[in-house]
This record gives sequence, structure tokens and C-alpha cells, in this order.
Amino acid sequence: MKVDDITLMAYVDGELDIEERREIERELDDSPDLAERIELFRASSLPYQDAFAQQKLPPVPESLTRKIAELSRTHASATSPVPPGPAADPAANDAIAPPNIGLPPSAPVRSLMRFSAPWLAAAFAAGVFSCVVGLRLLPGLTGLPGGAATVASAPPASPWVMAAAGYQALYSRDTVAVATDPAVSAKTVADIHQIDGLPVRVPDLSAQGLTFKRIQRLRFHDKPLVQIVYLPKTGGPVALCVVKDAKPDQSLAQQKINDMDVVTWRQSELSYALIGTAGQVDLGQLGKLIAKRDVDAMFSQAPLPVRPVAS
Amino acid sequence: MTGADLSGMLPEMLPRLWAFALRISGDQHDAEDLVQRACVRGLERAHQLQADTAPLSWMFSIVHSTWINELRARSVRSRSSMEWDDDFLETVEDPKARTPEQITMNAQIIEAVQRLPDAQRAVMLLVAVEGLSYSETAETLNVPIGTVMSRLSRARQAIGALFASKPGQPMKMATFGKDSAS
Repeated sequence: MKVDDITLMAYVDGELDIEERREIERELDDSPDLAERIELFRASSLPYQDAFAQQKLPPVPESLTRKIAELSRTHASATSPVPPGPAADPAANDAIAPPNIGLPPSAPVRSLMRFSAPWLAAAFAAGVFSCVVGLRLLPGLTGLPGGAATVASAPPASPWVMAAAGYQALYSRDTVAVATDPAVSAKTVADIHQIDGLPVRVPDLSAQGLTFKRIQRLRFHDKPLVQIVYLPKTGGPVALCVVKDAKPDQSLAQQKINDMDVVTWRQSELSYALIGTAGQVDLGQLGKLIAKRDVDAMFSQAPLPVRPVAS
Repeated sequence: MTGADLSGMLPEMLPRLWAFALRISGDQHDAEDLVQRACVRGLERAHQLQADTAPLSWMFSIVHSTWINELRARSVRSRSSMEWDDDFLETVEDPKARTPEQITMNAQIIEAVQRLPDAQRAVMLLVAVEGLSYSETAETLNVPIGTVMSRLSRARQAIGALFASKPGQPMKMATFGKDSAS
């Protein structure tokens, strides 16, 4: 059997199932060529986002900023709403999304598409973030922070959300029975800001009946994942989990993963998942409060400024 | 989506569109022209942007197709790497402590990506730098997802070949030995 590069890439990225992996490992025994190609893929797992974030680019020219602002103003005042529909101008279709948006991808490639880039070693969590339908099922960029009024139904959960929800399902009230020393929590928050580089804010949800219990630094695919646990008056603990994610903001979406209610959103390059036992706390409402920053922050060192988007 | 909706988002997207345009064109004047034309096209066609398509990747796709058309118009199939403005390959000092090795490494990663053939570079920029999924990248570049994956695998093989010799350390290769960055 000749293993093609795309399969090999998926193997290195950990995207194959056990059977497929074994198949390749069997091949590996008598193919030095295969080992060499695998080595190349491994060596290509580099911190690309980190590197490009350091790239010295000329600033956006003032003339361009001005022109785009003018253009935007003109359009904002001149355009009347046009219902979405088939393109009037056939030549206009060259850069447009294909017509089958929303249809599931074809089966053979599905397993390869589930993660966009888990191989972004040491890069930010964006890599583990792209489900097949990802952004497309959700309302646009403007959902937050202004109009978090609706909670949409969610696309398939991101791998890290699945992992966090699975982990949270193991929690009981007893898990967080012992209170954490506030000094320890404050130190953890400082480490999250300084070492993990996540400007995470710990919302004070006491007015909503949730007591802060602890904050933990976890990792998913080698990227920092922050878990903040609260205990409601009754029922299982509720966790707010956060990872870095450089994609555009995304408004709140609610779904059920196993027996957990999960509300997700993305804001200022952080992705959030609010997770709790199904049917106990109104997580949608809670998520809106947190996203709109209608609650105070605990351990309130000022969070680090968010990395400028494209400098 | 209407032109009015999109026009509200463009100023905020501008830094990322600018960076993307610079990275695919390698030239400031081209990039400025490119972003401007893409924004005009985007606004004209905003009604075609479906509610379930991310406006940013849609704008990336217009920037990219505008650039491809421009290259065709100039009958330039692929810009030679000689034309790259090497200023873009430099990195800035991060206030957070970064070791000289990290800074050198970052410069080498950027250079390795920038030296890829155009089609592979676009895929690497969208997937590895902008964080789009394979399917979003396919949509953005208007190619089948299999093409995205095969370009990505070729790009990663090429980059892997540069970095494989000294895992975890800056490369020795002459073309990557940018001492100025360290």
C-alpha cells in the first residue's frame, strides 16, 4: 500500500482513528521512506501564528484607512437593504461561497476536516477550533458585544469544548467542596495573564447565586485552557472555560453535549464555553451577563491588553 | 447581509485584510490597491454574502481573487521570490521576553512560508496564520477541499524539510541565516 501525503499528514496530526493508525504503523515497519515523510510533517508543526504575530508589517496606510472609512460611510447611508438571493450579476460569482452551504461535507474527507490545524504546535488555540461548519452557522461578526440578545443553536462543538464538557461531567458538588485559598487563586490568575498570555477575567457571579470555587490552568492539545468553577445553590458545579482563539467574535450559541448544557461564544480573541449539568442553571442568561461584562471581575488585576490583531 | 451591514465591519477588518494583502502580494502599493478594490467589490456584492458565511473569510476570498485576477492581467504567473520586499521578513522585538533563538526561529518560519509557491502560501496563510478550517479555506480560495489539503501537505513537506535537520533549533541553512533578526 502506498500511503498518500494527505493521509500521512492526518496521521501526524492525530486525526486518524485507531484502525487507520495501525495500518500506517504496519507500513512503517518496512518503509523507511514513510518514516522520512512523517518526520517532515512533524518538523512542519511550528508556531506559525506566534511567528506571524511578530512579523514587522508596515502599518495600514492612512490614505487607505481614510478611503475605507469614506467608502463605508457612503455605503452605510446609501444602500437600502437588499434581500439575499441569487446573484443578479453572473460575473459576480467568482469569489463567492458555493451554493451548497450548510450541507454536510462528503463523508470520506470528514474525518480530516474536523480540525483545521491541530498541528499548529505551541501556537494559539485557534488551531483546534474549526469545526466543519464552524463560523458559518452562526450570526455574523456583530453579534457581540452589542447584540447578544439571542442565543443561537450551535454548530458541532469544537474539540476543546467536547473535552471540557466531558471533564466537567465528572464533577460533583463534592469535587469542589474544599475551598481554595484566595491567594492561590489570585496567583493562578496572575500566571494565566502573564505565563499563558490569556487576558482572562474571572466574573463574580455571586449576585446570580453562584459561588466562585476555583480556577485551574489546564491544557488542551498543548494550549492553555482556563477553567473557572462555580457552585450554584443546588445541582452540579458550573464551569467557565476559556482558550485563546484569534478568530472574529462570535455570538452566543447553546447546545447539549452528553448530559451537559453548553453555551459558547468568542470575544476579543478568546473563546468561552460555559458548562453545567443540563437543566439546572440558565446558562444562556449567565453567558450574556458575562459576555456583556455586566458582572464584576474577581482577583481584579487589569488583564493584559489583547494582542493587536494584525501587527 | 447588506452593504450597510458590511460597511460597518470593514474598518474593523482592515488591519487583517491589510496584513493578508501584504503577505500575498509582497508589495505595499499592490496591497493598498488590492484592499481598496476588494472593499469596493465586497460592498457591491454584500447582498450575496450569506448569513452563514463569516464576513472576514468572505473578504479574504475577495482579496485573494482580486489579486489572482491582477496577476493574470499582468501575465505574471508567479512572482519570483527575488521581488519580495525583505522588510516583511523581519520580526519585531516583543516586549515580553523572547530569546534570540525564538526571534530567529520566528523569522525563519515567516521566511519559509513566504518562499512557498503562491498557491501553497495562500493556503498556509489562511490555515496556519488566520486559523481558518480546511473547508473555510476551500471556500475562500474557491477550490475543492482536497486541493486545500494537498497544497497544505506539499507546503508542510517543504517547510518540514527546512526544519527537520535541526529539530527545535534555528536552521543553519544560508538562506535562513538572518542574523539581523537575532
